[in-house]
Amino acid sequence: MSSTAETPSADDRVVRLADVRKTYDLGGTVEALAGVSLALAAGSYTAVMGPSGSGKSTLLNLVGALDTPTEGRVTVAGHDVGRDSEAERAGIRGTEIGFVFQTFNLMPRLDAIENVALPLLFDDWPRERRRERTRELLSLVGLGDRRDHRPNELSGGQRQRVAIARALAPDPAVVLADEPTGNIDTETGAEIMGLLDDVNARGNTVLLVTHERTIAEHADRIVHIRDGLIESIEQLDGAGRNA
Amino acid sequence: MDASETLRMAGRSIRSHKLRSALTVIGVVIGIASVVTFASVGASVEADIVSEVGSSSASNVYVLPTPAGDDDGGPGFGGVSQPVFTEHDIDQLENTLGVRQVLPRGNVRVSALTHANDTISRNQITATTPASFPQDAIVDGRAFRSGAEEAVVSRSARQAFEENLSVGDRLSIESEDGNETTVDVVGVVNRTAGQLPFASFAGQPRFYVPTDPFYERTLESPAVGASQRAYPQLTVVADPARVSTVKGSVQNYLDGSDAAELKPESVELTAQTSGDFVEEIQKIVGQVTRFVTAIAVIALVVAAIGIANIMLVSVAERTREIGIMKAVGARNRDVMGLFLAEATILGAVGAVVGLPLGIAVSYGATIYAEVAFTPAYGWFAIAVAVGILVGVVAGLYPAWRAARVDPIDALRYE
Repeated sequence: MSSTAETPSADDRVVRLADVRKTYDLGGTVEALAGVSLALAAGSYTAVMGPSGSGKSTLLNLVGALDTPTEGRVTVAGHDVGRDSEAERAGIRGTEIGFVFQTFNLMPRLDAIENVALPLLFDDWPRERRRERTRELLSLVGLGDRRDHRPNELSGGQRQRVAIARALAPDPAVVLADEPTGNIDTETGAEIMGLLDDVNARGNTVLLVTHERTIAEHADRIVHIRDGLIESIEQLDGAGRNA
Repeated sequence: MDASETLRMAGRSIRSHKLRSALTVIGVVIGIASVVTFASVGASVEADIVSEVGSSSASNVYVLPTPAGDDDGGPGFGGVSQPVFTEHDIDQLENTLGVRQVLPRGNVRVSALTHANDTISRNQITATTPASFPQDAIVDGRAFRSGAEEAVVSRSARQAFEENLSVGDRLSIESEDGNETTVDVVGVVNRTAGQLPFASFAGQPRFYVPTDPFYERTLESPAVGASQRAYPQLTVVADPARVSTVKGSVQNYLDGSDAAELKPESVELTAQTSGDFVEEIQKIVGQVTRFVTAIAVIALVVAAIGIANIMLVSVAERTREIGIMKAVGARNRDVMGLFLAEATILGAVGAVVGLPLGIAVSYGATIYAEVAFTPAYGWFAIAVAVGILVGVVAGLYPAWRAARVDPIDALRYE
């Protein structure tokens, strides 16, 4: 199962942050990240915990190639996020990163199948392959019978399943989940976390951002951050699978 | 994202706001339809005038005194009605190569015309020669004879009196000083050979009498040294194959003519062909058409503002969607393309609907105005191109705004 044994190189780390700093100029400099180094191994399952304002959103935006570091280096699947152009970063987001948001962020006027196909559309997949891929993914997340429903015709849990299918569509290097259960009830939340666990079990690298301990415990390790710095890294029982 | 997917996505968002999109498109439809209508009606009127002139007076060269220094005066509608051309001038012109006839034309001042106890007031009637009435212009009867107390009338003159005027009737002409002369009506015509182009448009009653004995304006001819009849206007009927040569010869002769000596300083003698008149008319109609069409273009500008406005609203409404698209891999140019495609579709649909509407309206207008419909194909192509262009131009700024949306902010946007 582990690929570490075969390729014990730096390439194995799909995401790397090396002494990353991010400052915002909001009428006075605010340091959101004050020197963070972190690597995510292929197939790993990492949770980031911290109070609001700790820098977890900034971390997520950097790994998600939505933002560039002020200092330091962020690489995702070999791409230097800080040095790539805006268009290149868009390309990275479309092919190497799968976002799962707290508020689902589905396109309201597109049905489930079109939402899942969206990253593939921007990556110029031919129509037939898009259809095949989206059907497969919707079946995987258990929505094979809801393909042509629009987001407003789906429950919160179903919407998040569509979002997970969309995140997986381009077979990304890393799936970024930002409080994925924050807008759904506990029972459904457990189902969604079960699905994310399955996604990781299938070999996908997952980075989970949450402030709930029970959610974070699904991961192999928990990175605690506070005031823009990593406070501690906690290995969990499930750890060792990729270590 | 490829072009067909971009168009498909853009089409979807237009359909999801049917009413809003339709109202925006109506603006473009009105703009395009007005441009097409005005351009087509203008082209039709112009073509109609040209064919009218071409058929009746193509081989005429008009010799008129016109105000000097008025280079742009063109046709002598505003000509000076001062008698300057003597009978000597007429003889000389008639002996010029390529000239078939020279038709003098002058006005006889009168005060009233009476037929069968019905008197109509009238300031002047036209004096000319029998050659003014070619066989194909005579509807009934014959041309008058020179020296006879006879008259020829236009078709519309038959209804000028309570009782219809027809060949064989008698017409009393009361001169300015109250003398009455009675003439026989010998013919009815639908035009005269010497008439100015477009004169038939007026369709008003006209009465013609022979210059001999009715025309009394005389001047002393410097060439002959005797008193002769003098006319304000001559029409030289040329051999159709030699119209331009004749025009040149006439112009040459005019420099040494009696008229050149008799005319006041402020007047120039000009020879103009029907073609010159047609050109002038085309110029005027063209100017009017362009002016009116330019006004219609304002409607297009308003339509463009409408599209820009609705696109800006759309960008604001869909900020979050733009963020989502960018998060899943849309490049700035993909986003720009989507919004630009949407605006372009609105413009193109407006053009495609506006064009046939404009054609239909202009067709109706030409029927109403009783002119032949001449489609302005060039303008049709321009209208469609402009419609699409309006969409593109109106969409540029909103699309640029959309492309610049920061995905981080947009995803937080509620």
